[in-house]
Amino acid sequence: MFSTLRWSAGRVLSALLTLLGVSVIIFVAVRLMPGGFEDIILGPLATDAERAALVAAYGLDQPILVQYFAWIGQVLQGDLGMSLVTQTPVATELALRIPVTAMLTVMAILATLVIGIPLGVWTGVRSTGRSGGKVARVVSSLGISVPEFVLGSIVIYVFSRFALGLQVGGFSQVGESFGATLQALLLPALVLTVFCVAATARTTRDAVMNVLVEPHIGAAVARGETPWYIIRHHVLRNAGIPILTLLGTITAYLLGGAVIIETLFNIPGLGSFMVTGLDRRDFAVVQAAVLFAAAVFVTVSLVLDLLTSAIDPRVAVTGKQKQ
Amino acid sequence: MTTYSLPVLRRGARTPKRPPRDGLFLTAVITLASIVGVALLARIAPIAGDPAKIVGPRLSAPSVQFPLGTDGLGRSLLARLLEGVGTTLVLSAFAVLCTAVISVALGLLAGYVGGWLREVVMRVVDVLYSFPSIVLAILVAAVVGPGQTAALASIVLVTVPLMTRMVSAAALAVAQRDFVTTAKISGVSLPVILVRHILPNVSGTIAVQGTYALSVGILVEGGLSFLGYGVQLPQSSLGLLIQEGGVYMVHAPWLLFGPAAVLVIAILAINLIGDTLRDRLDPRETRSLT
Repeated sequence: MFSTLRWSAGRVLSALLTLLGVSVIIFVAVRLMPGGFEDIILGPLATDAERAALVAAYGLDQPILVQYFAWIGQVLQGDLGMSLVTQTPVATELALRIPVTAMLTVMAILATLVIGIPLGVWTGVRSTGRSGGKVARVVSSLGISVPEFVLGSIVIYVFSRFALGLQVGGFSQVGESFGATLQALLLPALVLTVFCVAATARTTRDAVMNVLVEPHIGAAVARGETPWYIIRHHVLRNAGIPILTLLGTITAYLLGGAVIIETLFNIPGLGSFMVTGLDRRDFAVVQAAVLFAAAVFVTVSLVLDLLTSAIDPRVAVTGKQKQ
Repeated sequence: MTTYSLPVLRRGARTPKRPPRDGLFLTAVITLASIVGVALLARIAPIAGDPAKIVGPRLSAPSVQFPLGTDGLGRSLLARLLEGVGTTLVLSAFAVLCTAVISVALGLLAGYVGGWLREVVMRVVDVLYSFPSIVLAILVAAVVGPGQTAALASIVLVTVPLMTRMVSAAALAVAQRDFVTTAKISGVSLPVILVRHILPNVSGTIAVQGTYALSVGILVEGGLSFLGYGVQLPQSSLGLLIQEGGVYMVHAPWLLFGPAAVLVIAILAINLIGDTLRDRLDPRETRSLT
């Protein structure tokens, strides 16, 4: 018990350290970029004095350490600052965009849980059949091999060329009726789902196959328990940890994949916010959005790790799960 | 003083039986080899013509004269595709080589030495992994300027965390074995232990992770060039060609489907090779439930 507590505290601490590291890197990186937001606002004809005045107005001429601590102090108080280019609070803009990306993510994760895990269990249990195993191998490998920008382009082609009824890239208004938003997000979510489902099916299949060779499964078969009963009571419980770990990978994929998909389908979400912020050299926007995305990922990994140690206390003692 | 060279423990030694012939693996290897071969041949000899030369009317459909059609400027897509495949593969392979060197060095040290060194390496790796990969790539491109260098650095930064973690975990497992302890007690120096005793025993992990890193590298290059931050015109790369294909897709869908097919086939082949390497490294039994 004590070791679990100690391990959990260490894990929380390292998550905070990670976020600190992310904040330093993103802060320094945006200042290393050539060009600046003042070029976007003032245009090419501005004099050097005008540029300097604008930069000074935002305190960007101060020593970098002073700037960093001022920013971190604000963030810790819940103030994400003002966009340098649009002059709106970053928090307001984020609040409009986060639900869009969150909806995309939830749709993809739901599909993953409903399709990916059963598919993985099924192919894992039936893996002894030679030809079936090969088909499953190729299909699931294909699923993780098609990049989202390729699948997205193809989906756009198919649905716009042959008018299949679903609208492509017509995300008109943030805060539009829920049904319209859902409909506009259906295709992008579908594209993101393919990778998630395939990755989940692969991991689940491996986890199931690893559990199947354990002696207690042999004992269960010998006792005459039905396959379905064995799967539910013996296999899934023991295959749970790799599947939990995978959800972390999927979160990372969705946060990154969303950037490309949102650009491709013109969706005003978190990903496109980061890209436009980077293009405009809008420091405040980039820092806030990237820190937010990293915070989501770090929190998800932390929760998953804590869950893993709750399921299998050996993790906290030995630092690794049973192979 | 003499040092004793201890026998290298090979995983394969316990299963002397040759793995069964695997048609899928063979197909993947042949496919990948021919893609690489043709792309490299196109670099040396102009088998498909000059990719920069305007050879015919714009957007003409695939025909005998233009096997994959022509692009928006009337250049032969086949020539540009071969150039693009070459750029993408060479760039990704070189980046993965860099990743392998960095990850193996960091992973071996972190796994074997452990302690604070392991903590520091793992925290740095965690920080890199917490950035959404494509955002990290765009950030790199914004700092160093779009182009091949940006793509290269991005691939390295995205793949290093994945590979370092796996190598360090594998090195940690080997570091606890008796023959490593014996070597340590008999006074073998740190570099020799790392290179002679640990490295050979984690080489399987390195091979598997290197293969997967190559497919991630191609994905990152593709995504970055697709968004316009990677390889720049007039050069060509698979991501760039797919982006261009997207522009003309209603009038000339072959400009999208040709490069897309090659990209997907290459990544699929690499992933299948990675899977097979992994299964051979860690053979397992199967059991049926009835």
